[in-house]
Amino acid sequence: MSWTAAQQRPGGAATAPPILEMRGIAKRFGATQALDDVSLTLRAGEIHALLGENGAGKSTLIKIMTGVYQPDRGEILLSGQPIAIGSAAEAQRHGIAAIYQEPLLFPDLNVAENIFVSHQNRGVVTNWRKMFREAEAILATLGVTLDVRSPARGLTLAAQQSVEIAKAISLNVRVLIMDEPTASLSAHEVGQLFRLVRDLRDQGVAILFVSHRMEEVFQIADSVTVFRDGRLISTRPAAEVSPQSAIADMVGREMGLFQRRAPAPKGEKLLSVQGLGRTGVFSDVSFDLHRGEVLGFAGLIGAGRTDIGLALFGIEPATAGQIVLNGKTETIRSPRQAMSLGVAYVSEDRRQLGLSLPMSISANISLPVLSRYLTRLGLIRTSQERDTAEGFRKRLSIRTPNVELPVAKLSGGNQQKVMLSKWLNTHPALLILDEPTRGIDVGAKAEVHAMIGELAAEGIGIILISSDLPEVLAMSDRVLVMREGRQMAILDGGAATSQTVMTAAMGQEFAA
Amino acid sequence: MKWLQRHIRPEQVRELSLLLLIVAAVLIFGSMIDGYYTSRTFNRITSSVAIITVVAVGQTLVVLTRNIDLAVGSIVGCTAYFTGAQLAAHHGMPPVVAVLIAMALGCVMGAINGALVAYGRVPSIIVTLGSLAIFRGILIDYSGARTVTTDSLPKWLLELPRLNFVTIGDLDIRAMFALAVGIVLLFQIGTSFLNVARQFYAMGSNPDAAELIGMPARRIVFSAFVLSGTLSGLAGFMFLARFGSITVEAARGMELQVVAAVVVGGVNIFGGSGTVFGAMLGAIMIGTLEQSLFRLQISEFWRDAILGLLILLAVASDAVILNRLRAIWARTDLKLVARDSASPAEAKR
Amino acid sequence: MNIRARLLRWETLLLAMLVVIAGLNIAYSPFYLGVGNIVNLFQLSIEKIIVALIMTLIIICGEIDLSVASVMGLASCVTAWLFQMGWPMPWALVAALAVGGVAGLINGFWTAYVGLPSLAVTLAGLIGYRGVARILVEDRAIGGYPLWFNNLGQQPQFGPLTISIVIFLAMFAIMAVVLHRSALGRLVYVMGNNLQAARYSGVRVRRVKLLLFVASSMIAALAGLLYAARLGSVRGDMAQGFELDVITMVLLGGVSIFGGSGNLLGVGLSILVILNLRNGMGLADITGNTQTSVIGALLILSVLVPNMARMIHTRWKGRET
Repeated sequence: MSWTAAQQRPGGAATAPPILEMRGIAKRFGATQALDDVSLTLRAGEIHALLGENGAGKSTLIKIMTGVYQPDRGEILLSGQPIAIGSAAEAQRHGIAAIYQEPLLFPDLNVAENIFVSHQNRGVVTNWRKMFREAEAILATLGVTLDVRSPARGLTLAAQQSVEIAKAISLNVRVLIMDEPTASLSAHEVGQLFRLVRDLRDQGVAILFVSHRMEEVFQIADSVTVFRDGRLISTRPAAEVSPQSAIADMVGREMGLFQRRAPAPKGEKLLSVQGLGRTGVFSDVSFDLHRGEVLGFAGLIGAGRTDIGLALFGIEPATAGQIVLNGKTETIRSPRQAMSLGVAYVSEDRRQLGLSLPMSISANISLPVLSRYLTRLGLIRTSQERDTAEGFRKRLSIRTPNVELPVAKLSGGNQQKVMLSKWLNTHPALLILDEPTRGIDVGAKAEVHAMIGELAAEGIGIILISSDLPEVLAMSDRVLVMREGRQMAILDGGAATSQTVMTAAMGQEFAA
Repeated sequence: MKWLQRHIRPEQVRELSLLLLIVAAVLIFGSMIDGYYTSRTFNRITSSVAIITVVAVGQTLVVLTRNIDLAVGSIVGCTAYFTGAQLAAHHGMPPVVAVLIAMALGCVMGAINGALVAYGRVPSIIVTLGSLAIFRGILIDYSGARTVTTDSLPKWLLELPRLNFVTIGDLDIRAMFALAVGIVLLFQIGTSFLNVARQFYAMGSNPDAAELIGMPARRIVFSAFVLSGTLSGLAGFMFLARFGSITVEAARGMELQVVAAVVVGGVNIFGGSGTVFGAMLGAIMIGTLEQSLFRLQISEFWRDAILGLLILLAVASDAVILNRLRAIWARTDLKLVARDSASPAEAKR
Repeated sequence: MNIRARLLRWETLLLAMLVVIAGLNIAYSPFYLGVGNIVNLFQLSIEKIIVALIMTLIIICGEIDLSVASVMGLASCVTAWLFQMGWPMPWALVAALAVGGVAGLINGFWTAYVGLPSLAVTLAGLIGYRGVARILVEDRAIGGYPLWFNNLGQQPQFGPLTISIVIFLAMFAIMAVVLHRSALGRLVYVMGNNLQAARYSGVRVRRVKLLLFVASSMIAALAGLLYAARLGSVRGDMAQGFELDVITMVLLGGVSIFGGSGNLLGVGLSILVILNLRNGMGLADITGNTQTSVIGALLILSVLVPNMARMIHTRWKGRET
């Protein structure tokens, strides 16, 4: 169905033979159906844009195409022949290459070697002179002047990206997947990149182009596919799509999924941030937060939302601006200091940054305020720890046989509740929740949402960072929208709709 | 500065400064010791450096892959003793066969370590800590604590250390030192040009990416240990030739000197960067210190204290100074690339 | 925890090993169970097992201290040197402990505050502190200490027990409480498991690391002094190579080299296994070096066997599905 739409498109590419066909692809991770019966066809000489919110299933599809994941169902055809893509190396043999937003380079190898490192038939001896020359030639077609002899370690993100692109080109790919390749490039570099992408298309390469920058998509794409919640919503020729209709397809989900939180009475002013920034990461962020208020942070991944949280919690302190907490100007330099000021930050990455997985539930919950559980001799009162954990287990209905169980044994949703307990136990005045419902099932999600409501009603000021747009809209009193390290807007509850937020987040003028 | 940046890499700055440090050390010792600049001093330093260098080459390969081989001292001791015992028993054995025996024995020992690390998935520090003790224990049992004595060995072997490769003016380049330099050259060229050898760097630099593009990770680690063992075997033969009389304690503790040479030579202890040539410079630095302090009447006992400081400085400079240097170098790259960078780097996470 | 899991626990295996070894020893020698033999069994390695206790904490925290043996040597050499210069013995001992503390500060500073790998820093310490010890005593053997000092290491002071054994037992109890009951112990585990999560929870990770390295070096210094008292004479190469034995004891006790797991019970059992194994092999006229190889093999097997079991298990499971 998806490719019939593309076939109807008049002109060159539509008649071109399909190179890569994905038919009825499905992939499930635990409770999340990441992809559900998705069919997509990539044709020679066509630039195919793929749009969708965070979590719509774009990266899962890319990982299936590059052999990182295996699909649960569905088949993949290359030039009409069914193939299995068992590994990244196999994908490469089939002529499928991907360029990611975060380059996957060898920091100690030089630029030229990084470009040619995955060539299977490099021969026995490296001809450096030839390799340097060819690397320079490829980079020259990219319009990039780079020292091909320097190690990749020192390169800027933009330069690393150029190396990744050069790498793909050197492999003579038939299918090139570009996952947000422009995210770290300047306008000039984007122009050069597009020229190159068009060249590749004219040579008959099929290109899948994933980007959040709407204007770029319409500048370059021949056809546009929109994903939402793991399903393919539409595939249309670019000429028939407008930014408005694309955004509508992306966010067109029913709001009924989440109940809108009843706004709590606003308390006194808790936090006031003026011109906050961190060099090279985000800048000029200003907002107020009252007790009992939920301020949503919306924006795309990498827009700088998490970095504001990290600055307020002292992990990566701000380098500019002013933080006024409870009427006093504070310079927050360490997590410990932030905690003493009543700030708590629930990290988005619970496995790497949030929890100590082999340790018990109760030990995880008491960790930030361990001193509260000590006898005069500095020993831990485990019974008191257990009592606290039991309390949270009931309050947040953490499903576990006992609180001595290692956190690793819990489901994602219950782990998330342990994280929440851990930080509620510090009795915060300001609670920063970073993606509190990512990767957890619907039931647990609803419980976390109910909890947010209760906490706000208790007078805690909450910053809710979430890529789940309906969640932000349902939970927040106001929504701050970030885009590329800049604050785009603060929308009041009434004015914040999925379309206004998405429009600000994508930097697209949009008249509703 | 521009010229410098175009022609020299930060990594080479590291090696150059070590070279300068060696020259400075030689000048300082020369001013303190009468008759320092003689061929005797040179010979003494080069023959001690030769053995350490050969082992350090193998160690470099292992460290590049994010591992460590602490068993090298025991391998050198074992091969030296075993080869010595064979030569004592069979006087007519051709030299080539003796060298091959030593290398084959080292190869087998290295293969055991490598198999345990690569295929048994036991951390290298545990494996080689254990095999350090095991190999030494086997040696002592095998030998019955007897000593291989000089007079039991064939004449050609005992004359080997004094065999000259070439004489330049007053300086004799001993054959064993020439052999060590030859091995360094061989491996320097090999690791720079052979695609198989480049995988050592790739593996140590980014193991995940290496595996993703289908590099044979385990085989790479295994072969690093095999090469380290084989070279240690060769060094065992050189050790036998140099000292003639071999006790069961031979080369005990050599692993520390070797790891020190590698680290001082700029090989990153966490893998991925460093060169065989740098490891040789590290060995020369350490050998110069060792032999010169010995000549100084003050005390040879200062050697280890200075060596410890040197290692600390080497590691610290890798972590702090090299990053600075790279930043300076990278900044010039940035200017070339982002001539019109309109917005700062946006995506960070 | 079900019975099967309990049986497969590392501590259970160690205990079984211990029972077998002790049984063989008892069958082999009638003197084995004598108080004299048991005291002697401890006394012969007492300095190493004291250091193994603090090494347990360091490794669980995800670090390593290779310099302990050199600090042992350094501390005894400092005492010997000062004593020879005419210092009263008690002050010389205090000074040696202080020098141990400084060595720990150096290790801890470079590791925790500069962020260098502890493997490299303490390797430098291993060579460097030994070097300082050599500078102090050169190639002499310094003896002739007051009788009370020698008695401290050689004579039973508490019933049949020497002061070293009493210190070990007390330290074992203290370390067990610290590691398994105190806040510090909890932080050691958390940091070993996931250093970033500890940092994100407001744990002052650098301070904990520094504290551990200082404690490690001071305990090593104390052990070095006990060793000097036992031998009655100090040389530059005292305790050389002990770090390998110490680390072997800890790792054989089931402590992961990557940090985060293991416990003091396991290390205690592994100490008993190693001591009894050495003792038994000694009784059976097996040389010290064969003993060392057996323990080396045990160290490798202690990681290899569980690894292989896991690999075979997953392969087997994979075939089922």
